[in-house]
Amino acid sequence: MSTLLEVKNLKSYFFTRAGLVKAVDDVSFAIAKGETLALVGESGCGKSMTALSLLRLLPEPGKVVNGEIQLLGRDMLRLPDLEMRRIRGNEISMIFQEPMTSLNPVLKIGEQIAEVLRLHEGLSEQNALDKSAELLRLVGISDPQRRLRDYPHQLSGGQRQRIMIAMALACDPQLLIADEPTTALDVTIQAQIMDLLQRLKQERQMATLLISHDLGVVAGNADRLAIMYAGKIVESGPVPMLFENPLHPYTQGLLNCIPRPGQKSALPTIPGQLPNVGENQEGCLFLDRCDRPCGPCGHQTPELQEIEPDHWVRCWRY
Amino acid sequence: MSLLDVRNLRKSFRTTDAFGRSKGRLVAVDDVSFTLQAGETLGLVGESGCGKSTTGKLVMQLLQAEQGEVLFEGTDLRKLTPRQMRPYRRQIQMIFQDPFSSLNPRMTVTDILSEPFIIHKLAPKREIRDRVIQLLEKVGLKAEHELRYAHEFSGGQRQRIGIARALAVQPKLIIADEPVSALDLSVQAQILNLLREIQQENNLSYLFIAHDLSVIEHVSNRIAVMYLGRIVETAGAEDLYRSPQHPYTEALLNAVPLPDPGHPRPIPLTGEIPSPIDPPSGCHFHPRCPYADEKCRSEAPILTASVGNRQVACHHFDQVGRYLRHRS
Repeated sequence: MSTLLEVKNLKSYFFTRAGLVKAVDDVSFAIAKGETLALVGESGCGKSMTALSLLRLLPEPGKVVNGEIQLLGRDMLRLPDLEMRRIRGNEISMIFQEPMTSLNPVLKIGEQIAEVLRLHEGLSEQNALDKSAELLRLVGISDPQRRLRDYPHQLSGGQRQRIMIAMALACDPQLLIADEPTTALDVTIQAQIMDLLQRLKQERQMATLLISHDLGVVAGNADRLAIMYAGKIVESGPVPMLFENPLHPYTQGLLNCIPRPGQKSALPTIPGQLPNVGENQEGCLFLDRCDRPCGPCGHQTPELQEIEPDHWVRCWRY
Repeated sequence: MSLLDVRNLRKSFRTTDAFGRSKGRLVAVDDVSFTLQAGETLGLVGESGCGKSTTGKLVMQLLQAEQGEVLFEGTDLRKLTPRQMRPYRRQIQMIFQDPFSSLNPRMTVTDILSEPFIIHKLAPKREIRDRVIQLLEKVGLKAEHELRYAHEFSGGQRQRIGIARALAVQPKLIIADEPVSALDLSVQAQILNLLREIQQENNLSYLFIAHDLSVIEHVSNRIAVMYLGRIVETAGAEDLYRSPQHPYTEALLNAVPLPDPGHPRPIPLTGEIPSPIDPPSGCHFHPRCPYADEKCRSEAPILTASVGNRQVACHHFDQVGRYLRHRS
């Protein structure tokens, strides 16, 4: 499979008044055409900031301070703004957790989808509306002609997320970034939306960067998995490999603390809390919570190493 | 006698549009009955808008039911005056989903945790501080945290404060409304373990309201499943997950994504949750139900005893299970 996106040594820092925050710290990964990579971690681990860095949409006072983001050979961090604007919503598009806040409340659904098509594809008003109806049908919305004239508040949460997906797909992107696409939805609607994304991915050979905290969603929908902790990827590999043979103590802890069917006893936990990602970091950031620390953990930061083919771990024990 | 015996509870709200014109009544809780024994956890599960939180508030008397009884150790709380209700407020406490909005941002932890002792006159003034520190340690916080404000804590720590506040008055029943759904996975496990510990120590009962089926299975002895204001099935936790008898329970179980890549993917239920303002006729679930027939469209099934200690509201409960996805 050929590589679509390659991120190398990405560092995104926030220069806040309270000090430096290394939100994304030396993150590297690649996504092949048609592949789904899941980026998993707890709140504040830097997974959403990684996604926003890709689109060059980091909020102030955040800045990408280092790294390369290659999309089919072009370094997106060095493209002029105008060029970048053509890529957003066209070659790469994004869907968010809360579809209500990402839709314009005073514009009809049809106008919002048609706008994407007019701007990126140069379609006429009528052609854009016709294609919008087609897109709504594709994402499973019944009676699309009527829905085009609805406002976002007239739709349910699941329908709004379908509209967001329709907008994201309008220009047939090569990469879809889905940031917690089903976290705000009920479980039966979540199953519908993940099914839809899976179907579209297969039909269109579209690559997906799936950001999630739900290991259940990831297990059924991703090909590869990268676990993030405190701004760094601590383990990555194919989904079955990581679920079967997790090596990093944090990955093991995360997989252990999910309540499993039939499990009634106390859950194994990861003690302590997430560390602050500030200026002077020495050693492994997971050290305080780790149940099996060893020699160099306290003073030297471990690097990602390939432990077995395609299985990368950032831990001194291996 | 059950600790809590809820009978035929009903609550509706008047709904209006943006201009204040009436849009009809929304029946949030429709003829809901259940019991809860001392030391037991009853899980109340369902999707958004099914009435599970409203049910919790009706039990707590934060909302007034239109019909029905809330018998706490045999006393109908609905018939009590506010003054008579006061001692019962001590017996029943609540823990909320968002630990930040349920803590006063201008009060220190000591202030927050002293209030229950003062209001219910549970300890002389000079002892309160010691009691507060005991509470903090009980929920896994440190004595040195006593003078901090809510914003200085993480989400998990705030939820611990919320739990400490509920425990202060030594209640018999805690209504926990989505207590872990705002928390990260590793913190969620910590809080679930804490809730289990304090239950065992104090013989507490929980009415545990949640939408996450894995969490509900883990904490509950018995489970009640709600759909559009009605309880559609109650059963022991193990029975419910092994052999659901209501098609909606079956569909919910099928929709849960399991953290195991070797597993079959979730089987989606078709259709959306209908509007509770204008629910479908007969059985509310019939438009999405694979077992539905003519009878289901016209006649609402009543929650009745099936086998063992189970209750189900379905005309075709003996057929349910045909579509259940198997779990390892």
